[in-house]
Amino acid sequence: MKQTSNTFLDNAHVALQDADKAQRRDIMALFTPLVRNAAMESFGHFEALRAHVKQVKQHSLEHLDHYLARFEQEALHNGNHVHFAADGEQMNSIVLEICQQHSARHVAKGKSMVTEETGLNDYLKRAGIRVMETDLGEYIIQQAGETPSHIVGPALHKSAAEVRDLFLAKHDLGDRELAETSDMVREAREVLREHFLKAEVGIIGANALIAENGYSMLVTNEGNGDLCANLPNVLIVCTTIDRVLPRAEDATATLRLLVRSATGQAQTCYTSFYSGPRREQDIDGPLETHIVLLDNRRSEILASDYKEMLQCIRCGACLNHCPIYAGVGGHAYGWVYPGPMGSILTPLLTSLEQSNALPNACTTCGRCAEVCPADIPLPDLLRDLRHEESERKLSPARWRLGLQLHAWLACHPRLYRALTGLGIFILYLLGRRKGSFKHLPLAAGWTSERDFPAPAGKTFMQQYAAQQRADKTREHKQATPVKRAPKPGRVSGRGTPVGRGSSGRTSAGRTSAGRIEPSMGEGWQHEAGPASPGTIRDSGKISGGSKDSGGKAAAKKPKAHPGGPRGKKPRRRKDHD
Amino acid sequence: MTDSARSRILDSIRQASRRADDDTIERELQALGSAPTADLPAPELSTAFLANVLKNQGSIDCVANRSGVVKALAEYLYRHFRSHRLVAGNDPNLAAMPWREAGVLPRFGSVEPGEPVTLSYALLGVAEIGAIVTLTGKANPAANNLLSEHHIVVVDSTRLVRDMEAAWKIIATESARTGRPRGINFIAGPSSTADIEGKLVYGAHGPRNWHVIMMGDLPATTVAEAHALAGR
Repeated sequence: MKQTSNTFLDNAHVALQDADKAQRRDIMALFTPLVRNAAMESFGHFEALRAHVKQVKQHSLEHLDHYLARFEQEALHNGNHVHFAADGEQMNSIVLEICQQHSARHVAKGKSMVTEETGLNDYLKRAGIRVMETDLGEYIIQQAGETPSHIVGPALHKSAAEVRDLFLAKHDLGDRELAETSDMVREAREVLREHFLKAEVGIIGANALIAENGYSMLVTNEGNGDLCANLPNVLIVCTTIDRVLPRAEDATATLRLLVRSATGQAQTCYTSFYSGPRREQDIDGPLETHIVLLDNRRSEILASDYKEMLQCIRCGACLNHCPIYAGVGGHAYGWVYPGPMGSILTPLLTSLEQSNALPNACTTCGRCAEVCPADIPLPDLLRDLRHEESERKLSPARWRLGLQLHAWLACHPRLYRALTGLGIFILYLLGRRKGSFKHLPLAAGWTSERDFPAPAGKTFMQQYAAQQRADKTREHKQATPVKRAPKPGRVSGRGTPVGRGSSGRTSAGRTSAGRIEPSMGEGWQHEAGPASPGTIRDSGKISGGSKDSGGKAAAKKPKAHPGGPRGKKPRRRKDHD
Repeated sequence: MTDSARSRILDSIRQASRRADDDTIERELQALGSAPTADLPAPELSTAFLANVLKNQGSIDCVANRSGVVKALAEYLYRHFRSHRLVAGNDPNLAAMPWREAGVLPRFGSVEPGEPVTLSYALLGVAEIGAIVTLTGKANPAANNLLSEHHIVVVDSTRLVRDMEAAWKIIATESARTGRPRGINFIAGPSSTADIEGKLVYGAHGPRNWHVIMMGDLPATTVAEAHALAGR
């Protein structure tokens, strides 16, 4: 698949021109979080399960040498052929060789993002093998000559009308209406059933590999993956080294998170575990089974500070909750994996040079990290990639200059506050009459699309300091016994003084005390603390503090990018990105 | 090529791993404890299981014994196909059914194209997820789970377990006794897809209908309770 990640901005611009698709993305962005949240609420123990699965994944990755060797041993014992592929080219050539050994002409394939990563379909097609995608979404985009826009719903960018026209053009089945979605599904079922029955080789992916017994887990709703795994005489499982989990119960624990995060279901229709070729007494199933384990730089990621990305279970929840993904869709990302997880994986699996636009396709709002079932600090990793982009001088020189200037200013809080105070005051004077600006120097990116509201006159820190002073004066007065009755208007309806400890808002629009920390003001670059429970963690993320470590992240060693020089001495991270 | 790739990959992984001994790894794994499971919709396993089957868009019947099973099957087949034919795996539990009592005509083996109904006998039912478990093999060819229009499954109420962890314990015991089965299938509903505009459609590739017949000495109110809990 030709990578176009570095033209993300152009791709996004093109995507935004299609109003119909943009509207459908908006609907999906509203709908998919709702079903995911309902499923998690109904389950009731999301945080506990997430913490458990994260620990299991971390344990598995820490001891991947042990568990991968164990899986290989058990899979061989189960009668499989096990192959290792260093990169996509090797995986493709291993699969082709197996197909050629069996003189296969037809391959039935289940949905596998790994084979999208390696471009397996085109590789086999060039060798004269007909590969048919059998997941309905994958089948639609294969027929349309497109690539997936979502890792769970690859064809969700297409309308029912487009699918109808596609099927009428591609299926030579005479006159028919295909008026309903169910008609199209029925037609695809009939067309693909024939292909299942004549395929000599089936190819599937794996949601997990179980070290203790050598089984691979396959999770589908359609059942197409199971047909690929059971009907052809040869089965090839194309997967990656990081899918290994220690025990069967670890796979099902992951499953609980996966299905709820991906589709909002409590359980997928078909969850299957396959061990190898048919047994002596069996009357169906493949006669020969192969497992191809792809590395493709994952072992380098394992050795880097980005290894948390290997905890990803490919549920797509981060895509569904990402405002950028919702805005521009999956194709704008220009490679196989879109959204927040894709913006990290793409630079790691290809190169930062080819995809440095992606880590910048993020508002660091933190929604992805909130919902990630593997608890991956996605905004932190994206920010680290941005840092690396800047360090390696991949970003435009004026960006870097601007960041350096900002960093210098932020290191001088008094000057920073004085300058921002002056700037805000000037903007206030200039804009107070109209209330907004249609044009602003250095902010054309904003004002070309919308007006910039005129500031209120004082910065947040100025207002905060004023409020602090007022509070102190009031507390001082309250500490002194005064027999006079409080002034009218200083007492709320319940008799609670407005201000610290009240549930109302102060004149500065501040919510009750304790919800705004000084560290979240202009001085955040130095003082970011952990986000308080129950508050949105955006501020902690934006501030450069990680969810777990708060300001400690600023002192964390820089990420060792797998594409970077191996064994390079870790640099001290600068305080500011 | 794959041998050199293997050693290169394993070597890289080894360098990035902690390289602990087996005992340490096992001890650390045990210390992780177990995952939280979903709460059941009802305290009784049978009611909870049936409610979750309904939530998974299955349909249910509840009968007392094997005579009840064949009678329920006959009614189901007549209602949908005006026929008494179906395909079943060579499962001794199914072979022992009193087929003649209800005039059902099973063919034992693997489903062929055009045969609309298959019958399986579940190894287990899992209440937490409303799923049945079958093992591939002579007793239940995999095709029988996937190629028919209607998949009917008989579940013995004594073979219900609470959650997937409990299911794995039984499967592991079974595997130790008879060898690892080629496939272990957790089935929780008819085949479905939402790949076109997110609209849910049943019968994507596998069965359009999934019917569970629970066999056991259960209170007469079980089915009604399950329907009430599932809201359908």
